[in-house]
Amino acid sequence: MPKHKPKRGSPLVDMTAMTDVAFLLLTFFMLTAKMKPTETVVIDTPSSISETKLPDAGTLTIFVDPEGRIFLDMVGNHTRFSLIKEISDAHSLGLSQQDMVTFSNLGMFGVPRNQLGSYIREDIAGRAEFKVEGIPVDTADINKSELADWVHRARLAQFRMKQDGKVTDEYVIVVKADKNTPYPAVQKVINTLTDINVNKFNLITSMEGAEKKE
Amino acid sequence: MAEIAQDGGGGRKKGGKVRSKKMSTRIDFTPMVDLGFLLITFFMLTTTLAKPNILALVMPEKDIKLEDVEPVKESKVLTLLLGADDKVYWYEGISDAKLDSTDYAAEGLRSVILNKMDRVKEQFGLQTYKRKNKEGVEEEFNDGSYINVIIKPMKDSRYKNLVDALDEMAICKVRYYVILDVSKLEEQFVKNPAGGLKFNVEEQVEAATN
Repeated sequence: MPKHKPKRGSPLVDMTAMTDVAFLLLTFFMLTAKMKPTETVVIDTPSSISETKLPDAGTLTIFVDPEGRIFLDMVGNHTRFSLIKEISDAHSLGLSQQDMVTFSNLGMFGVPRNQLGSYIREDIAGRAEFKVEGIPVDTADINKSELADWVHRARLAQFRMKQDGKVTDEYVIVVKADKNTPYPAVQKVINTLTDINVNKFNLITSMEGAEKKE
Repeated sequence: MAEIAQDGGGGRKKGGKVRSKKMSTRIDFTPMVDLGFLLITFFMLTTTLAKPNILALVMPEKDIKLEDVEPVKESKVLTLLLGADDKVYWYEGISDAKLDSTDYAAEGLRSVILNKMDRVKEQFGLQTYKRKNKEGVEEEFNDGSYINVIIKPMKDSRYKNLVDALDEMAICKVRYYVILDVSKLEEQFVKNPAGGLKFNVEEQVEAATN
């Protein structure tokens, strides 16, 4: 009687199913991916019960870090290019075409206007080490306030883009401040916004319960 | 290591002819899967899937004229002064105001607001206000809120305090609230509650509009 040999299973596993799933997920993440904007400062937003989501429309975000420094970020490369061109011309910053292109892809920035050129010309590592002071605000004289100038011109630039049919929405103004930011710093931003007739804006908050209650 | 190609037949059989080696139809998928998962990991880490929540805020216009301001019943007004160390000072009305303090816990600020609402509700019922109806004719509605809350964050408060206070407005369904700047009189009032609040409308308007 022949010895009964247990049938040896092949050590090979059929990978097709796993590959299918892997690529399905890959496709999903690639299509839904929206790159995390590079943030120069970490901002821990306070929690609220609000469940309204940030709209998909173009946003102009004003960041206020715990030290009260102010940063700006806006979406749309075309708008940014047109904005920096205008700012450069209006304040004779003497930025080159290359600088302007770099700026339109830059993301978040927070340097006074006179340092903008040297900030842009740094490489990524250089920018990370750049001593950023934040965008200066002057609440006493709105014409001297760089923040007011940036926001006002950015809104105009976006509005022109909308008229040309390049974008569909005007900027939604968003304020993202850290929960430990002293109120006077936030107050400066709010006052600047109301000074340039932006009376409706949004505060970014995180979901209630997502953070530990202090 | 990843050598898993099966002996797909062929080869030299015992004493047989030399046959041309048949290629296996199986392909080694391992590197592809490796790459696939690597990319998945990359995209998962760089994606911001969850959109942040927002709290919409509408500020009053900068140029408020005294004659455009609609008077509000003093007994309906609750003023919150957001102070340092997560403390809230509050007082009702303007004349003979008593300063009290609380915190942002549910039984703190919220009960102050709800308590005020209950008392005003008993006395006045819902606030009436004018707004245009569906036909565009101005009509009086009385589905407004019971109270008017003035939020005044002080210099030493932090941003979280403001958001917490705004949250309480949403939780308690306060329809009318406004964020204003603190006046000097109120700063003194907080330092010295016994001194009382000598309220001065002109100074309040100045503090609010500048």
